[in-house]
Amino acid sequence: MSLLKVEHLSKSFKGLQVLRDVSLEVREGERHVIIGPNGAGKTTLFNCMTGTLPINEGKVVVNGQQISGLPAYTAVRMGMSRTFQKNNLFGELSVEENIHLAVTACKPYRFHFLKPASKYAEMLAETQELLAQWGLWERRSRIVSELSYGEQRLLEVILALASKPNILLLDEPTSGMSPAETVQTTMLIQSMPRSITLLVIEHDMEVVFSIADRITVLHHGEVFLSGSPDEISGDARVKEIYFGGGTLKHA
Amino acid sequence: MRANIWRTPTLFIAILLLLPLILTNYGVKLTSEVLIMAIFVMSLGLIIGFAGLVSLGHAAFFGLGAYVVALLGTHLDNTYVLIIAAAVISGIVAFVSGLLFIRSSGAYFLMITLAFGQMLFAIFYKMESVTGGADGMAVSASLNLGFGAIESRVGFYYLVTIAFLVSYYLLRVFISSPLGKGVRGIKENESRMTALGYNIRHYKLIVYSLSGMLAGFAGALYAYFNQYVSPDLLHWMFSGQALIMVIVGGVGTLVGPAIGAGFFVILQSYISSYTDRWPMIMGVIFVAIVLYGRGGILQIAMLLWNKLRPKRHKEEETPILPKEGNGFESVKG
Repeated sequence: MSLLKVEHLSKSFKGLQVLRDVSLEVREGERHVIIGPNGAGKTTLFNCMTGTLPINEGKVVVNGQQISGLPAYTAVRMGMSRTFQKNNLFGELSVEENIHLAVTACKPYRFHFLKPASKYAEMLAETQELLAQWGLWERRSRIVSELSYGEQRLLEVILALASKPNILLLDEPTSGMSPAETVQTTMLIQSMPRSITLLVIEHDMEVVFSIADRITVLHHGEVFLSGSPDEISGDARVKEIYFGGGTLKHA
Repeated sequence: MRANIWRTPTLFIAILLLLPLILTNYGVKLTSEVLIMAIFVMSLGLIIGFAGLVSLGHAAFFGLGAYVVALLGTHLDNTYVLIIAAAVISGIVAFVSGLLFIRSSGAYFLMITLAFGQMLFAIFYKMESVTGGADGMAVSASLNLGFGAIESRVGFYYLVTIAFLVSYYLLRVFISSPLGKGVRGIKENESRMTALGYNIRHYKLIVYSLSGMLAGFAGALYAYFNQYVSPDLLHWMFSGQALIMVIVGGVGTLVGPAIGAGFFVILQSYISSYTDRWPMIMGVIFVAIVLYGRGGILQIAMLLWNKLRPKRHKEEETPILPKEGNGFESVKG
């Protein structure tokens, strides 16, 4: 059954149509990758799905509940979490504090103000678990802006995972990474449990084909083709879009 | 390490408690004023330094608290009721106005709070029949906490000292609490906080209301202290002074604004006893502080301390400005 449904979504900015009648279905546990040349509207689609941008037409349904039209902060409550194409972290806070904020976001005690946050054992334990699991334990008290780019990119994913989402939207998780970091990140994505459904925007074809169960090609704001990796890689028109247009950056 | 954490506050509390023994009557009065201002300026420092909401109308809540004591005090005399009423009414007004203001940010927030402050000022200024208009009004309620009226300067001093210490402690707990951390996160990065699932408007509204409440509490103490209130307490000039105290003391910390308040009030009283042109001299001093120490007096003090302190351990770097932003780490040296 499909966990995430986008139905006939359209979005325009002052007359410029960025997304046109986009429909998408993501099944539970699926690794669904969205590809498409620059400017195809991939990030805008994420922004529309999470409520960061209002949509003009269509709807988005998560776990059977309509999410479109609701404020952006509700997406996480419905189990859908996202990362950003450009690192969007708390640069002046430590790694640990970043994760504290992410873990606390949906906890009932998020509004408590009569007890220091450091006294909430559950939050500390969850933070510790994430730090250990993702290999940032040693770096927990570093200020985030002092971390390497790759580590910041990793933290970007950890923050999204902290709310224990069942749908995770990853916006170009490997962008700007070195080849070694890209391989590592790909392995991390592959190792994520199937209880987390993934919708990923990715440019690097090696990464795309090593994680995808299903691929959707977005072109000029429209769904051009959706299918299995074999179908997509065998399609001549997709090659034309990518290699004919020459806008694909190959890492 | 543990001993270090406790030494500074204990020493500070001891100094505050023993101060009346060495100060003149005037000194005690001046220190009381400093402590009341410190509570008020800390409340402003909370929204500026931790939530990133720069208000130029915060005196409205201070003045409102003071007028609640003056006006309600003509009908009832219970100190507890009056002070709590002042804090609650200021808090409610902050909450209701915040519902509208919190949507704006930056310069727009500054302007809208300025306009709101001036509006309240105008109300108290124009309602002569109730508030005495520009002449202000005397505070008739006596200060009585249940064990006899507090009439001496020293008695009042101790009351204000306790109020200050409790306010400081509560603010410190607040900024380290889940809510306070959330507020800090919003100042750092609103879009990420939203993506994480935080409703940032709720957070801003709560911190703004609490800040207004604390300002009203300080205003109530001031009404008892001064025995007289006037619309000037709500005027934007006073809001501006408080803003200067925050910036001069050190934005983004808790002790900074308190130090700024002390510096401002004491300097003002000292310089104005020599010359009528005191605002000019103070202006020059503030420009110099802001130019040479961006973190305010707190940072300048830390720089001096790092240079002058006895070098016991060779390489023990103390961070100049607290990363945590609660200002406490920076004073323990």
